[in-house]
Amino acid sequence: MLACGLAIFLLVMALLLAAFYRPANPSVDGRDESGTRVWMWGLGLGFPLVTLAALTGYGLSIGERLLPREAPDLVTVQAEARQWAWTFRYGENRVIATEGVLHIPAGRPVNVEITSTDVIHSFWVPRLAGKLDAIPGHVNVLRIEAARAGTYDGQSAEFSGRGYREHVFTVEAHDAASWATFLKEGTQ
Amino acid sequence: MIEILRLSLPITVWLTGFSAVYALQGLSCSRHWPADLEARPVLLAAWAVAFVLQLIALIAVLYAPSPVRFVQTTATALAATALVAAVWTMMPVLAASACL
Amino acid sequence: MTDARPSSVSQPRGKALRLHRGLARIWGSDQRFRGWLTTSNNNDIGTLFLIVATSFFVIGGILAMLIRTQLATPDSAFMAPQVYSQIFTMHGTVMMFLFAIPFFEAMSMLLLPGMLGTRDLAFPRLGAYGLWVYIFGGSAVIIAMLMGLAPDGGWFMYPPLSSAAFSPGIGADVWLLGITSIEVSAIATAIEVIVTVLRYRAAGMSLSRMPIFAWYILVVSVMILTAFPPMILGSLLLEVERALNWPFFKVENGGDPLLWQHLFWLFGHPEVYIIFLPAAGVIATILPVMARTNLLGYGWVVAAAVSLAVLSFGLWVHHMFTTGIPHIGLAFFSAASTLVAVPTSVMIFSWIGTLWKGRARMELPMLWIMGFFATFVIGGLTGVMLAVVPFNWQVHDTHFVVAHLHYVLIGGYVFPMVAAIYYFMPLLTGRTRFFKLGEVAFWLVVPSFHITFLSIHMAGLLGQRRRTWTYDADQGWTALNLVASVASFVMAIGFALIILDVAVNAFVAVRGRRNPWGAGTLEWAAAIPSPAYGFASIPIVQGRYPLHDDPDLALHIARGEGYLGDASRNRRETLIVSTARGEPSQVVVLPGNSVLPFLLALVTSTSFLAPLFDAYIVAGLALVGVVALALVWAWGLGARADEGHVDAGHGAKLPLASESPDPPGWWGSVFLLLADGVHFGSLLFGYAFLWTVAPNWPPHSYLQAQLWAVILALTGALALTAGPRLAVRAIATGGAVWPTIALGIVGALALAIAAASVILDRPDPASHAYDATLWLLAGHVGLHTFLSSIMLFYLAARGAAGYASPARIGEAGIVRLWADFTVATGLVALAAAWLPGAFA
Repeated sequence: MLACGLAIFLLVMALLLAAFYRPANPSVDGRDESGTRVWMWGLGLGFPLVTLAALTGYGLSIGERLLPREAPDLVTVQAEARQWAWTFRYGENRVIATEGVLHIPAGRPVNVEITSTDVIHSFWVPRLAGKLDAIPGHVNVLRIEAARAGTYDGQSAEFSGRGYREHVFTVEAHDAASWATFLKEGTQ
Repeated sequence: MIEILRLSLPITVWLTGFSAVYALQGLSCSRHWPADLEARPVLLAAWAVAFVLQLIALIAVLYAPSPVRFVQTTATALAATALVAAVWTMMPVLAASACL
Repeated sequence: MTDARPSSVSQPRGKALRLHRGLARIWGSDQRFRGWLTTSNNNDIGTLFLIVATSFFVIGGILAMLIRTQLATPDSAFMAPQVYSQIFTMHGTVMMFLFAIPFFEAMSMLLLPGMLGTRDLAFPRLGAYGLWVYIFGGSAVIIAMLMGLAPDGGWFMYPPLSSAAFSPGIGADVWLLGITSIEVSAIATAIEVIVTVLRYRAAGMSLSRMPIFAWYILVVSVMILTAFPPMILGSLLLEVERALNWPFFKVENGGDPLLWQHLFWLFGHPEVYIIFLPAAGVIATILPVMARTNLLGYGWVVAAAVSLAVLSFGLWVHHMFTTGIPHIGLAFFSAASTLVAVPTSVMIFSWIGTLWKGRARMELPMLWIMGFFATFVIGGLTGVMLAVVPFNWQVHDTHFVVAHLHYVLIGGYVFPMVAAIYYFMPLLTGRTRFFKLGEVAFWLVVPSFHITFLSIHMAGLLGQRRRTWTYDADQGWTALNLVASVASFVMAIGFALIILDVAVNAFVAVRGRRNPWGAGTLEWAAAIPSPAYGFASIPIVQGRYPLHDDPDLALHIARGEGYLGDASRNRRETLIVSTARGEPSQVVVLPGNSVLPFLLALVTSTSFLAPLFDAYIVAGLALVGVVALALVWAWGLGARADEGHVDAGHGAKLPLASESPDPPGWWGSVFLLLADGVHFGSLLFGYAFLWTVAPNWPPHSYLQAQLWAVILALTGALALTAGPRLAVRAIATGGAVWPTIALGIVGALALAIAAASVILDRPDPASHAYDATLWLLAGHVGLHTFLSSIMLFYLAARGAAGYASPARIGEAGIVRLWADFTVATGLVALAAAWLPGAFA
């Protein structure tokens, strides 16, 4: 996407500069509109329509793949934001709760049900997925999946007042064994 | 005033149709939508209605032309733009997931 | 085509000089200091507007420098987070609301009458009113900031963070009321500009011969009328929630914070194009002159501007991609967002094609336009990237978005406006640039701009979130931020140089000749600097570039050889033409100098600002003052006797506007009601939105319509529709007016009572968003029936005082328009209030 953007930018600049270094054609009358075929139909209309159609289709197909669809080994957790902390809940009836650290199994799709109890926040773990807002009264579901076990940094990404910068959390992705241990210890 | 309307109405029809289809989609994901009603056929039908209205707007511009040539050319271009926009911007009802 | 043509125009002598003296006396403003308070001339108002907007730009720039100072180093102790939040909120607010919109309004006030070949704007006093409301509202916001009372929730003020619970104090109220008053000013100016472009033009200037800048400003002004009302409604909802606890955004009581985001971005996205399109108009004006040719594809560009304007209203959700809206909803807006790039591309390639067609020269304005291309194209491309949903999910609310919007706004707006200032300086000041600081400033600003914001793009991609007050040394953003800060200071020095350069050149540079660039449009045919009356006679044009068709046009105009080249009627006259073809159709008499606009602005601003200090009584008195002054204002216009057709020159006998069925006031009302209708539509949208998606709906019960109220509403609507119609007929035939007026007022009263029944049935608007919405719907009906009644009374009084006659029937037509609007929206409002109960 960046390369395409750069190419378009360079094309426009080249066309622009060429206008200044082109041998002038003094015979052309100001009322001459013959240039519209190339400039308007071709570059003005045709060019962006083709590139943008491709880009939109591409973006939407990727977006479709990121949706929280049904999956066989799906885990659902709950993330509840407030000024300026995160509470995560797990298991049936959400009996397990952790503060500031989200535990998930590695290698399995996880749905995070995001909500807020005061102002709007946003759940964002850059290495696992895009961001999704935590809005009071609404529950938004974000699909994340950590390929391997480890720790991932997460943060709120919607301005929420004084403590916004420090409104961070971590994601702890467990392998199958330690995930089982986590659930077992939590329910006791 | 009539010339201003010639220029602005067809593309306003697009805006109305687009907003209406989006609103319908919002409704289809809400608590008011009957559970046994499939949303996509309804959305597709709404898209078709929007398209037909847009087509009517274009035909109206063509068959009730403005006496002012510039207005007529520009109005035709805008009505055609609106038709393209109606096809393009509502295309997602074909494929995208409804309420996820 | 040569550059030296204008010198052949000799000084106006004889007739021209006499005409000049006569018109200068009629049109001149009071030369004493108080003349600044009473003037309504577009040159004076535009100049004040420009100076004030530039001052706000300086203030916003200082705030930006504070931000960059804070972010220059990690773990900075320069500002506390609370202060930093106020600073970035105010930077955005000042630049968007107090600088960007007023600045182009100032440019259009200064330039449009000249370009269109008319003598002043359509409603000079309304322009003065807009100016003063803007000055009072803007100053209040700045003073509050200096007192440490600025809002601190970010310039888009998302509730619940901006609600009373999380933002106590008056910071948010200052924002809501101050910004609303500025929006009122913008709407006033927009109406003035629309009517001017549609009706006040040179003879023969059909729509296809209109300067391209006028097209752009027309489109933008209509956008202001349709984009600002949702924002005004949003501000109203948030303010009553904060002040009276009506729970529009409070989830527990049936509100929804997402409603604010919809209303805000319904305004906020078109706003981006409201800012960009005037700049595009400037480019489409200057670039062909710099290329010594005509604009390529004029019709294409007009169509592109109109479609861009309308398409931009279908994009608002793309600022809400991370709020959990279903993917199909995002897909609609993603598709629309990419589509909007097409008209932009049409414009860009029209301009490049124009350069190829002509012989381009690199003067200073052209240099700034090159700066525009280099910057805006990048901003547009990152914008397309942001329209791609998955990418947006990653960079939303990071510094990438910050950098993107600065590329679009500075590259797409500020650079072209600098080009415009340099291009039009010879016209506005009558002087030729002598000190060449402008070139130095260009090479300071543009490269340092790119260094600053490319660094900020990178920091955003590396994950730096916007609105965080500092960062740690180990986050890896230190070098990027330092580079951005240093470069931003160089940029600030560059902008300071520009302001200095323009100020110095405006006052002490050498006198210049007319039309130094060899442009073809009418503004260069007036004397420089432009006299108060603009043109000594209204030009007659046969093409898009009248000065190219007739190099001696300026001389002909000065000699009074156009229309209305005669000062003997001793009043401010200008020509009204038919909208599409530009045929002379009316002569309008513009009002003279008056202190009324200033006073009305004073009481309007008081009514907005008094609630900040809980001075509700003062606010109430001020509102009474608004109504009273508005009536005094209107009463002073018009005539007591028919004058018949007047001689407009060239053998044309034209009716006065005040003796025409569609006077400018009628057109102004149509467009004001468009804005009012959009405001009402936004309220209905909010209602439907809450009903559909807000948690904690339905309310415990729905309102049940009472039969008597329904019948009252319907009969009232009938009477209010019939009354003004019969009044128009009575005036036209000389019949008795009073009974028809009484019928209309009784109708308005009945409608108001039906609305009151809604309020009486739901006495507690703070209990649920549903009840609060019902109160607003009823309030809409109440306000408009009140306005209609006042207008009907006024019409009766005008008739009794001899201000109405079968010819002077325009005012009655305006009242009928308002009554019809009241009936239509009133019935819809009551139906919306009663329907859910009928089906529940």
